[in-house]
Amino acid sequence: MNPAGRGGARAALVVWLLGLAACIFVIARTPFSADLSAFLPSSPTPAQQILVEQLRDGVVSRMLLVGVQGGTPEALAATSRKMAAALRGDALFAAVNNGEDEGLTPDREFLWKHRYLLSPGSTEPNHFTAVGLREALDDDIQMLGSPAGSLIRQILPSDPTGELVRMIDQFEGGSRPNSQDGVWFSRDGKRALLLAQTKAAGFDIDAQEVAQAHLHAAFTAAQGAGQEMVMSGPGVFAAKTRASIKGDAWRLSSIATVLVALLMLLLYRSPRVLVLAFLPVASGALAGIAVVGLAHGAVHGITLGFGVTLIGEGVDYAIYLFTQIAPGSNARDTLKRLWPTLRLGVLTSVCGFSALLFSGFPGLAQLGLFSIVGLIVAAAVTRFVLPVLLAEGFAARSVEHLAPGILRVVDRFTLLRIPFYVVTIAALAWLIHLGGPPWSDDLASLSPVPKPAQELDGQLRRDIGAPDVSFLIVAPAPDAQGALEAAERLSAPLTRLIQAGALAGYDSPAQVLPSLATQKRRQAALPRADALAAALKVGQEGTPFKAGVFDPFLKDVEAARTAPLITRETMPASALALKVDGLLIKRPGTGDKGGWVALLPLRGVQKPAAIEAALAAATPAGRPAALLDIKHDADQMFSSYRREAESHTLFGAAAITVLLFLSMRSARRVFDVLAPLAAAVLVTTCLLALSGAQLTIFHLVGLSLVVAVGSNYSLFFEKQSAAATNRERTIVSLLFANVAMAIAFGLLGSSSVPVLSAIGLTVAVGAVLSLLFSAILARR
Amino acid sequence: MTTGTRVPRPNKSFAWLRALPALLLAAALLPAPAARAEDLLPQLMREMAQVKSSRATFVERKYLSIVNTPLEYTGGLAYTAPDKLEKSTQTPKPESMFLDGDKLTLVNAKKQSRVVLLSQYPQVRAFTESIRSVLAGDIATLNRYYQVSAEGQMADWKLTLAPSDKQMQAVVQQIRFEGAGHSIRTIEITEKQGDRSVMTITEVGP
Repeated sequence: MNPAGRGGARAALVVWLLGLAACIFVIARTPFSADLSAFLPSSPTPAQQILVEQLRDGVVSRMLLVGVQGGTPEALAATSRKMAAALRGDALFAAVNNGEDEGLTPDREFLWKHRYLLSPGSTEPNHFTAVGLREALDDDIQMLGSPAGSLIRQILPSDPTGELVRMIDQFEGGSRPNSQDGVWFSRDGKRALLLAQTKAAGFDIDAQEVAQAHLHAAFTAAQGAGQEMVMSGPGVFAAKTRASIKGDAWRLSSIATVLVALLMLLLYRSPRVLVLAFLPVASGALAGIAVVGLAHGAVHGITLGFGVTLIGEGVDYAIYLFTQIAPGSNARDTLKRLWPTLRLGVLTSVCGFSALLFSGFPGLAQLGLFSIVGLIVAAAVTRFVLPVLLAEGFAARSVEHLAPGILRVVDRFTLLRIPFYVVTIAALAWLIHLGGPPWSDDLASLSPVPKPAQELDGQLRRDIGAPDVSFLIVAPAPDAQGALEAAERLSAPLTRLIQAGALAGYDSPAQVLPSLATQKRRQAALPRADALAAALKVGQEGTPFKAGVFDPFLKDVEAARTAPLITRETMPASALALKVDGLLIKRPGTGDKGGWVALLPLRGVQKPAAIEAALAAATPAGRPAALLDIKHDADQMFSSYRREAESHTLFGAAAITVLLFLSMRSARRVFDVLAPLAAAVLVTTCLLALSGAQLTIFHLVGLSLVVAVGSNYSLFFEKQSAAATNRERTIVSLLFANVAMAIAFGLLGSSSVPVLSAIGLTVAVGAVLSLLFSAILARR
Repeated sequence: MTTGTRVPRPNKSFAWLRALPALLLAAALLPAPAARAEDLLPQLMREMAQVKSSRATFVERKYLSIVNTPLEYTGGLAYTAPDKLEKSTQTPKPESMFLDGDKLTLVNAKKQSRVVLLSQYPQVRAFTESIRSVLAGDIATLNRYYQVSAEGQMADWKLTLAPSDKQMQAVVQQIRFEGAGHSIRTIEITEKQGDRSVMTITEVGP
């Protein structure tokens, strides 16, 4: 080795070690996230933006649905009460509701106290005239005869005009949970239900985990014999997902590492070489995480899960090198021979992944960046660091025993050409028959939440009557008052739409917290004490009601005329306050992006088009209210996401083709490289479809990985036809690399996280097929 | 449907069942002997359960502290075993309530209707179940909401329901039915504040 070479080697080592140190420094400061919002678009439509915000930290994201089951209903009710009492005193929860009256008392008091500011009745014509009052009293007589008569009787002297009933009417329509022994129960009476709202946002997984631990503790303390607790909600899903991604990523990468290590020990019989084989992968993964952390501010759990995949791919480079060092040769010479092909393989993979970089979805962009950085660093470490560290005179001697047998088998593969063409054409024909791959554009398929957990969630939601919000009107304004006024402007058109049967009902923050303007109008419509007393005297004439019975009414109206107006700050902590917080929202950001929105969830929507038309007519052009069809918009978001990824993938394929043309300058050679890859992608897609899988974005990512990895195989096979020397070692190295790959991705395929298993299966199958097809199509 | 399964203390009720022919004979021949109270209740319930359907008119008067003269409501009642009950008020304004299982449909004078599920309104449920369960002879449901006691004899019985639920107690003190055989003559509801309502029922057919 000449001095210059030694100096270069030392420089490579120093750069590498410094790089590693820098990566570790960055990673130590990088937060890790697991919320699905990384897989939601970063530059969506305004409506989608609100949808994403709601999914991340809206009130709905803070809801925990809890069921206690097993044993007698009486014991369940007792447990429910004890738990609720404990949780109401817990600072982590904004609200706890189990159907007990305690939870509702502040709400009732609030509605009762402010009924003349809250009820739309006050401003109705004739409401407080003699004629209007007479009508109200006649209605009261009728109501006293109903099953609720005893309850009406108690409030009648203070509320003869029925403001309380009118307000409660507005809130009705949403389904309410069953009640048994004073607490909420499922319809079958076997499960007591609680609804807890955390103060922390749904995406704050650490806080969600603590809140869930408190819930568990409350249950353990209150638990009766044979009872168990079930829990669901976005926070539960988020925590579980993070735990299972973390668990799977760690467990599977450990197993993959051990298995690949055993394989290497078997092949190279040298612990030192084993350690060296992992250097490129480990360096690549560290660099990938560090760069993603720097570029995106956080690293997603799914990106980390991809670390496993790099074990498969990055180890390949070391395997190519180690396996192909013949006895009597050295690492430098071998690399000199290998490097052009390896470099082209890396560039091809980078082309394949670069398309992901431009994805509008941060999660996919992370995957792309991670893979590109990881591969380049792994290749660079293989090229510049491994030769320095590898013992002089190393050669993979075991290859000599294995190679002849393997080669005999591989050479026979060319006999399979006709079956290969038949299978490939059949796969193509079948996909054409299907009208393309069976893509699933259902957002639920993106969810990392396992099926049973989704079913439990659906059950609890139905039982508890949690709003199944599928249509939402979004009314924007520069400030909170403006948003409330915007919501109030919609009330008349929505009432008309209800009468026309376009929808069954709606919720509005203005029902609980009217705008100050509306409150002032209602207050101004209340008559003076003497005028009201006179009107009542006339109105009451001829009714059976005793004189003076309604004195409390006169007093309350007079008090309401000068009462301070309601603001969010003066509302008591109660379910109604939470409702306002959920429906009247300050948007993050400033200017057009910021401001406030009022959300009006709709019930029983029949004619969305009619509602949209009415909205356009009823709201100002500058900040129009929009109808959000959540399921449709979310699925649309997902399908646009998938289409975007599809076009990126096609772009990547085109880039790979161009790259190969530029470096090979031969259509025939490019075809030889691409044909096995294309066939592998085709047949893999077909196999996935045959297995009944609905293809998602993650299968697509898996297919791009197949192209990235498979291109190495086909490049080497194509190359060996040009230079017959070292053929044995090349083919054996490909086989080893492929086995390592199949181990890593096959394990990933066993993950319980759908996203990871989709990628794992796709790549494991695709990689094996790529090698097989490359061998079949190899020219000799 | 047999009521034997619904009546608690099956041994006693079977003893009573064996005595039934003798009792019926005695009732037909002799001036009715006062049945022992603990026997009357199951007998009454069994009698009620025999009725498949009935129709009646009603006059309901409410004596409330806030009115000078009692409020009066009139209309019709219709019952179909085991769980359908309709109350259609004619005066002062037409209005109807139709109870079918857990579902209560309310139709007001303007023909606007509204459906509510009883299980979501425990207090209204306890109240409506009192009438329906007496009609159905459903002692199990009555026991769930009330302490039940009976006095008199089959030809002239009084059934008193005292709510067991605290919230219900705050409103209703007791509900008292009077009747003969399987016909209810009056339902009197006494409230905590001394208000009371009396519904007089006249059966008009099955």
